[in-house]
Amino acid sequence: MMKKTLLILIVAFSMVMALGGCGGTETGDEVITITATDNGWDSQMLHNEIARIIVTEGYDNYDFQLSTGSSTMNWQAMLVGDVDVDIESWTDNVVTYQDDLASGAIVELGVLVEDSAQGFYVPKYVIEGDEARGIEAVAPDLKTVKDLKDYAEFFPDDEDPSKGRIYGSIPGWMADEILYKKYELYGLDEFYNYARLGSEATLWASLNAAYNLGEPWVGYCYEPTWVSGKLDIVLLEDEPYEPGLFEEGKTGFPKQKLKIVASSALAEKAPDLIEFFESYNTGSELVSKALAYLDETGATHEEAAVWFLTEFDYVLDEWLPEERAAKVREAIQ
Amino acid sequence: MDNYLLQFPEAWQFDVGDSIDIWIKTVSQDHREVFTAIKTAVITSVKGIYSLLEMTPWWLLIFIVMILGWRMSGKKRVGALFGAMLFFVGSSGLWVHMLQTLSIVIAAVILSVILGFPLGILIAMSKRAESIIRPILDLMQTMPTFVYLVPAVILFSIGMTPALMATTIYAVVPMIRLTSHGINHVDTEVVEAAKAFGSTTLQALIKVQIPQAKSTIMAGLNQTIMMAMSMVVTCALIGANGLGMEILIATNRTEMGKALMPGIAIVIIAIILDRLTQGLIKKSEATKT
Repeated sequence: MMKKTLLILIVAFSMVMALGGCGGTETGDEVITITATDNGWDSQMLHNEIARIIVTEGYDNYDFQLSTGSSTMNWQAMLVGDVDVDIESWTDNVVTYQDDLASGAIVELGVLVEDSAQGFYVPKYVIEGDEARGIEAVAPDLKTVKDLKDYAEFFPDDEDPSKGRIYGSIPGWMADEILYKKYELYGLDEFYNYARLGSEATLWASLNAAYNLGEPWVGYCYEPTWVSGKLDIVLLEDEPYEPGLFEEGKTGFPKQKLKIVASSALAEKAPDLIEFFESYNTGSELVSKALAYLDETGATHEEAAVWFLTEFDYVLDEWLPEERAAKVREAIQ
Repeated sequence: MDNYLLQFPEAWQFDVGDSIDIWIKTVSQDHREVFTAIKTAVITSVKGIYSLLEMTPWWLLIFIVMILGWRMSGKKRVGALFGAMLFFVGSSGLWVHMLQTLSIVIAAVILSVILGFPLGILIAMSKRAESIIRPILDLMQTMPTFVYLVPAVILFSIGMTPALMATTIYAVVPMIRLTSHGINHVDTEVVEAAKAFGSTTLQALIKVQIPQAKSTIMAGLNQTIMMAMSMVVTCALIGANGLGMEILIATNRTEMGKALMPGIAIVIIAIILDRLTQGLIKKSEATKT
């Protein structure tokens, strides 16, 4: 009985191996698989699809796969080399970034977006109203984060009627720590409760729900993201950025650089890809356009990536050597 | 087109995602008063439970748990152990978080009993009800929580209300199942005897079947409490404060040590609640015979 089972297992196993072998020989040389992080937000998913097209079509012998998970878990996986590259890396939100860079486990390859913003946002109708939807402006003079003090009653906390509610950032992000310090420093804690939501999905759901009802909402958001592309929201002004003071919550956020970070193993594994990742740069305007396209047409990220490379065809020449750009163009025709 | 045998034909695929999104949004707009009323009711009751717990001095709560542990197990050292464990939670600086978590868990368990007990009886009494409700229960238990977490936020905003909803959806199932199981498995001869002496179905249910099924129903309560505890971290994702939020903050920063303490605190509460209700089951079994 045991022998029979064992035999069946061996036969089944060798068949699988043989089939796998067939697949390998068809594509020719050894295929190197590049793994990128997929932390679940739209802009990164879009960038991953763009990179997939370029890596698989523009270069030979590469396969591209995603590691889907939370940003923290993916970051740890990249440190040990299980994940190769993090496209659109919010390094300012990674507490250990400088240490990890210094330890040599990861390398910074390039800057994807130079001008990303984050901070406290309100829907535009809170300040200006929206005649078409019949929403009155409840806080016409609200401009800065400090102004929030006077408007707590318009952002009610339904669990605590005596105060307003500010939605903080994702627990554990640097932005959340800094915003919480700011919340205390500016004396907003006297008028508001600071609500933390465990994930972006639920944070955006709360903003979406309020926006849908035309209710005031104040809380953390960042650009570029589909929310900032889809909803008309305004960043509240703050003191101009100053390093040192910023960490204590005294000034606003700097324009963030979203980077492309790779595991240090990538350079050995795929030396010819480095040139592409180093020059891969989009700026937040192009990304926001692509995200809006994604949302309006209901296209998949893959379709949006093809649209992006066709619509902004010139980026290929900036990112790639001539013959590789030609190969990509041919593939997406 | 040529390989429709190998790939699912595209023409036969459909997408209802958008229409469901729109439906949820319209419902949340059109029936706002209903959701606000539910929200107010939930917030008031959870806050009521919380302030009751908060008013109780910490040493009194530990003392009560010690006495209960002693009574339920019959051993003094079990009571002492429970007291020491709760004291440990307090000395880890997690007392308030524990109370926040407990108030949602208690509210969810109460709601589960209010909903689950009658439903369980209904399933036990009527085959038709069973054939309708049972697949729904399977659905509630296997549907990934995240799928209904986001619509819950859209409908009920964030915080205790969606947390209570999600916990109840998940935790009510064993209460229903074990109630019906217990009543169905009461000896038919006992029920027949009761009927032979002239009791109506209702009388047989209240005076014979439910008392006979008590230990199984208590086991259902025990399972409901355990499942409610297991939802604590998930609830933090929708802004419910408490031990789950502490874990979430710590894990998001990869501070594993810091996440361990609230994790242990959850285990401690779960063990104490489990042993206390298990004790109740044993007691009800003892009185039965």
